[in-house]
Amino acid sequence: MSPPMIEVAGVVYDYPAARALHGVGFSVEAGSVLAMVGPNGAGKTTLLRCMAALDSPTEGKIRIAGLDTQDDPRGVHEAIGYLPDFFGLYDDLTVRRALTYAARSRGMDAAATPAAVEEAAARVQLSDRMETRAGELSRGLRQRLAIGQTIVHRPRVLLLDEPAAGLDPEARRALSELILRLAREGMTIVVSSHILAELEDYSTRMLMIRDGKVAGGGVVAAGAGTRDGLRVEASFADAPADLAARLAALGLTVERLDGEVAVILAPEGEDDSALLARLVGAGLKVRAFQPVRRTLEDAYLAEVAP
Amino acid sequence: MNPEFQRNLWLEASPRRLAWAGVVLLLIYGATLAATRDNPLGPLPALGGVGAAVFVACAMIWGARAAAGSVLSEISDRTWDFQRLSALDPWAMTWGKLAGGASLAWLCGLTGLLLSVIAGLQRGLPGLGVSVVFMVALAVLLQGVSLGAALIGVRKARAEGRAARAGGVLVGLVVGFMLLSWVAGSSGFQHGAGLEGFQALASARGFVDWGGKIWPADGFRAVGVCLFAAWAVIGAWRLMRLELQMQASPLVWPGFLLFVAVFAAGFPLRTGGLGAALVTAALAVALCAYAAAFAEPADRVRARQFLAAARVRDLPRAGRFAPATLAPLLLAAVLVLAAFAAGAREGTGLPQAGALIAFLLRDLGVIAFCRMGQRPERGDFAAIVALALLYGVGGIVGWSMGGAQGAALFAPLSAAPLLSLVSGLVQAGVAWALAARRIRRMD
Repeated sequence: MSPPMIEVAGVVYDYPAARALHGVGFSVEAGSVLAMVGPNGAGKTTLLRCMAALDSPTEGKIRIAGLDTQDDPRGVHEAIGYLPDFFGLYDDLTVRRALTYAARSRGMDAAATPAAVEEAAARVQLSDRMETRAGELSRGLRQRLAIGQTIVHRPRVLLLDEPAAGLDPEARRALSELILRLAREGMTIVVSSHILAELEDYSTRMLMIRDGKVAGGGVVAAGAGTRDGLRVEASFADAPADLAARLAALGLTVERLDGEVAVILAPEGEDDSALLARLVGAGLKVRAFQPVRRTLEDAYLAEVAP
Repeated sequence: MNPEFQRNLWLEASPRRLAWAGVVLLLIYGATLAATRDNPLGPLPALGGVGAAVFVACAMIWGARAAAGSVLSEISDRTWDFQRLSALDPWAMTWGKLAGGASLAWLCGLTGLLLSVIAGLQRGLPGLGVSVVFMVALAVLLQGVSLGAALIGVRKARAEGRAARAGGVLVGLVVGFMLLSWVAGSSGFQHGAGLEGFQALASARGFVDWGGKIWPADGFRAVGVCLFAAWAVIGAWRLMRLELQMQASPLVWPGFLLFVAVFAAGFPLRTGGLGAALVTAALAVALCAYAAAFAEPADRVRARQFLAAARVRDLPRAGRFAPATLAPLLLAAVLVLAAFAAGAREGTGLPQAGALIAFLLRDLGVIAFCRMGQRPERGDFAAIVALALLYGVGGIVGWSMGGAQGAALFAPLSAAPLLSLVSGLVQAGVAWALAARRIRRMD
């Protein structure tokens, strides 16, 4: 089994007047998209800055792509891309020059840089504005350029702090698509936000930070494509009055029945197609049939539940 | 090409800026030519003078400002974290900023230096090469100090929870320079340090007595400024390492202190002997301790980490978090003790040496106490006021109560060295106890 891409162990971070992180520990497998959620002031940004080797924890260890953030901060910087919540751009540089500087300053070879710049610009859909100065871009386009700078050196780990803050719905959608694309290419991504809906589309794991501590059960499966246990939601046409009884007769546990829609707990070991065949075979007119997805909100509420 | 240098060239030396700079320089030199049309010696002497002024204005003043701006503009534009995430090594980042940030200033300044050299050659000025080396080294020194000051400002501001500003860094540089030159230039310090002949070095006229030998002042000054310029760049590199989250080399700061000690000790060596040389070295190193106490970020967390590591005798970790004042304090103590062992001041001896160190320790405690409070941004000013009160008002009160004996309670005086030693130690103990309480406290 390959080691985790991100390992955080016993991280404590002190500000002069208060402790911001209290022994935070978790690990993230390669290729995951981790949603780091929690209320404002929970310590998400501090943790991300420690993971980006921008700040040193008072205690504890962080390893990114096998590199210790305190022993080899430069190596970590080469391996990661980090977009802070409040970022700046070199307004007088063109998009091409900004991306070129980002690639070269992150250790990319001079010969490989032009191709990487074109590729990054295409990924963030700025290819048609390569000679535009950053200062002339709109807010959404500036965000895209900032992300382009973050990924131009093809990092293995991407850390995004509130990346959708201030973006319009169209730009948010574009951001979601980009994150999904990067995740499909194998990048390990950590996205911090306190708005769960923003993370729903692309997250595969969730970590909740509260009062500087890991809350709930640590890193849990959640978000995009994550199935909520064995639950299946079925919708029936001309639902019979004794629908609940007929489903029970098939040996199925009905968790919730709301008119024509039932949330069924599928038997252990039975796949969805077999279950669907049984329902149809029992004479029920199945109009829709789909596994129940576990939303980030479900996972969040489950974690905070006493 | 170094990406940082290239980026700075893109921003600083863009074709438009180059064109504007060319126009301004042409106007300046053209005006000089026009004004000296009737000069029987021709326009070159005047152009040489104007060229020297252009070099001073561009390479030294504008260049120093640009070097600091290469960091401070990153703070104001919120791009500093992006820079800190770079994989460039600290040296590439340092020279990229120094040479790139001040590239246009250098370009303009060098046109002036060139005219100045041509004028000097025409007049057959002696020591022209030495003067050129001095001018260039002085520009590098000012730019290195300026970049270092900006980095110190950034670190201090972060520890104090505010953003660094150019104005703050400039004020810090000016006040720091004024305080240091006030102390170093005071007749008391110069007499105590045996540096009365120091003026020859500043004016570069005549000869300098250093290391037991007599040197031409202009050559000595050029070499000295070159060495200090090198240290300024090394200092900026060390600070850049810290900003890039790399551990500081443990040799640079002590190395600089030893250089300062040797440099200062060389002046009174021939006339005052080894003892006087060691006293001078100790005083110069003590000044470095004061400078370090103000330059280091008021970081209570770091101080706690140092105390925790020292408590469990984890020396490598303690070394990483050690305050910058520790090395000069220890070195000054060793030098003072060595000086008195070498018979620097007859009739005084060990108590006087101990009193000097005790008061240095007290002052560092007072500075730490003032800077580690809840409002560290006001700490520097509070520390200066506190020290002024202790030495000024305390001295007057002590004198009015008991003459020299009373004054010795508030300053390390040779009139009552044992009294000074005891008083200094008690005050140092109180100051450090109060400072430690502040450092430990989580508000």
